[in-house]
Amino acid sequence: MSIPESRHLAQRLLTYEAVADENSEPTGSAAFRVCAKLRRPLITLAGVAGFRSLLSRALTLARAQAPSLSAVQIAADGSLKGLDELASQIDEKQARDGGAILIAQLIGLLLTFIGEGLTLRLVQDVWPEAAFNGRVSEKEGKA
Amino acid sequence: MSTADKVKINKLPTGVPGLDEILGGGLPEFSFNIIAGAPGSGKTTLAHQIVFANATPERPALYFTILGEPAIKMLRYQQQYTFFDQAKLNNAVRFINLSQVVLEKDLDAVLEEITKEVEKTSPGVVVVDSFRTVVRKAQGGTTEVELQSFIQRLALLLTSWQATTFLVGEYVDGEIRDNPVFTVSDGLLWLYQAAERSSIVRKLQIVKLRGQASVPGLHTFRITHDGLQAFSRTLGLAGLARKMPSTRRLSIGIPELDKMLGGGIPEGDSVLVAGASGTGKSVLATQFIAEGIRQGDPGIVVVFEERPQEYAERASSFGLDLKTPRKEKKLEILYLRPLDLSVDETMHEILAAVQKIGAKRLVIDSLAGFEMALAPGFRADFRESLYRMITALTGVGVTILSTVEVNESFTEFPFSTYSISFLTDDIIRLRYVSIDGQLRKIMIVIKMRGGNHSNDIREYEITSKGVVIIGERLTDFQRLISGIPEHFNRSGNNQERSHKPRGKTKS
Repeated sequence: MSIPESRHLAQRLLTYEAVADENSEPTGSAAFRVCAKLRRPLITLAGVAGFRSLLSRALTLARAQAPSLSAVQIAADGSLKGLDELASQIDEKQARDGGAILIAQLIGLLLTFIGEGLTLRLVQDVWPEAAFNGRVSEKEGKA
Repeated sequence: MSTADKVKINKLPTGVPGLDEILGGGLPEFSFNIIAGAPGSGKTTLAHQIVFANATPERPALYFTILGEPAIKMLRYQQQYTFFDQAKLNNAVRFINLSQVVLEKDLDAVLEEITKEVEKTSPGVVVVDSFRTVVRKAQGGTTEVELQSFIQRLALLLTSWQATTFLVGEYVDGEIRDNPVFTVSDGLLWLYQAAERSSIVRKLQIVKLRGQASVPGLHTFRITHDGLQAFSRTLGLAGLARKMPSTRRLSIGIPELDKMLGGGIPEGDSVLVAGASGTGKSVLATQFIAEGIRQGDPGIVVVFEERPQEYAERASSFGLDLKTPRKEKKLEILYLRPLDLSVDETMHEILAAVQKIGAKRLVIDSLAGFEMALAPGFRADFRESLYRMITALTGVGVTILSTVEVNESFTEFPFSTYSISFLTDDIIRLRYVSIDGQLRKIMIVIKMRGGNHSNDIREYEITSKGVVIIGERLTDFQRLISGIPEHFNRSGNNQERSHKPRGKTKS
């Protein structure tokens, strides 16, 4: 799965989170929720320190593409701080894009380290009702 | 107590080929085990193999990781093995990181966390990797009694919850004494890895296993993309029923030699063909295997110095068709690459081939090549392992012909440089002799355990038909086996005279 594909998967997760909530919050919150939902299984797997390291790397990579993320921080427990506030500080689209980039980088790191199969399995476990079957995203992207 | 009254201990498969046999049938269910060894010895891979072999959604495996290899990296590497089934992840196999609990809290908190997960999932298998880290952390501010109490409570919990447990740890030999974890454990599997000259030798030992008889001693193992594969010292032959001694004689494919052998090689014998380079050992061995095929005996040829295709081609030049029986699966030519092979691993491959085609004849060409193919560290075990294999195979009726190159000496008459004559039933010696300005060849049957044999010394040649005996016994010479014979005149006059071969010469 390439970087565009990881972005596509990230976008699907964000959309899913946004749609899942009837009182759909701004996309920045969707990114926060995606991150929070991924946090739990990743902490179980890699520990808080392991998850913080991954998220920290993802945030650094994402900041290079979305400088507005510089206001976002990672708390000691691995939760994100400042992502929700981002929408009120900058343009809403910018905030949405920043959140998507961060999630895409996090998923990109997982793909790099544990591969597509295990990453999709992990995602599927978090969002069991959603369909993330292998390279569906790629096919959809090309369609 | 009768057998019927005894509790039956189920045995779990390890998922490691060869290891179940070493363990005496598998891992005792609900046992509390240690997997110990130095870093890089294969402990985590072994634990993963056991986990994936046994975990089901109903009885999942819990894999607690603690301050050892980061879980993400562990998954990254372990998924490269063929046994790693991604479909089982988070379903039948669950990884849980306890690093923070260990770092920030005490042993009670660790036990509480493990208890919580065990009670929630009712696992069939539990792994703590690395348990050594838990112990190290505990030793900082914990008394030995508290540590022992923790281990005891952990063992009780996991056994009560019907989990088979593996504590993985980096230990060295000296630590086995006075360590409470070894006292409490039911099983102790120790993995070793040592560099011997330029090779790496991996061995494992079942140091302790309650409730069942494991195979004692050090067993070699290898780690490939399939994970660990173990090679029992018994070569998996311990349970083979011995065949009743046979009276059948097997033709070697050389009628005159069959006569010298008293009618052929007794079935189930081990025959050694010894001679210098170029004396025709391999040709004779090929005739033996080809004759077997002709008579309906499937055969195996193990070669180390040439590839199967080349071997079959060379046989063709002597009019021996090995290609057809190869296609028909009546003959297998095993080429064992000269790499860092362990002797048991090599023999395992030979045995698998023998069993696959139901071989009745086996040729090992040559013992020197066999030994050279082994990692230097394994050569010390060569004779012992060879003895075990030959004894086991001949016991079930396989007839083995091995070739061995000996340094030709004109002052000595060695049978073998390997001092393995004791494990052969029959010895055929080929050697050069200097006669009338020619280097000619003679053949002698030195020994036949199964009966009488000819004492004749016969001259032979290698022709387009293979090894051909060309004359009656050589009565006109003395000191033939010295390699430098003298003409012998029965009338008492020793004199030089012309002696020409009585058969046709090699073209």
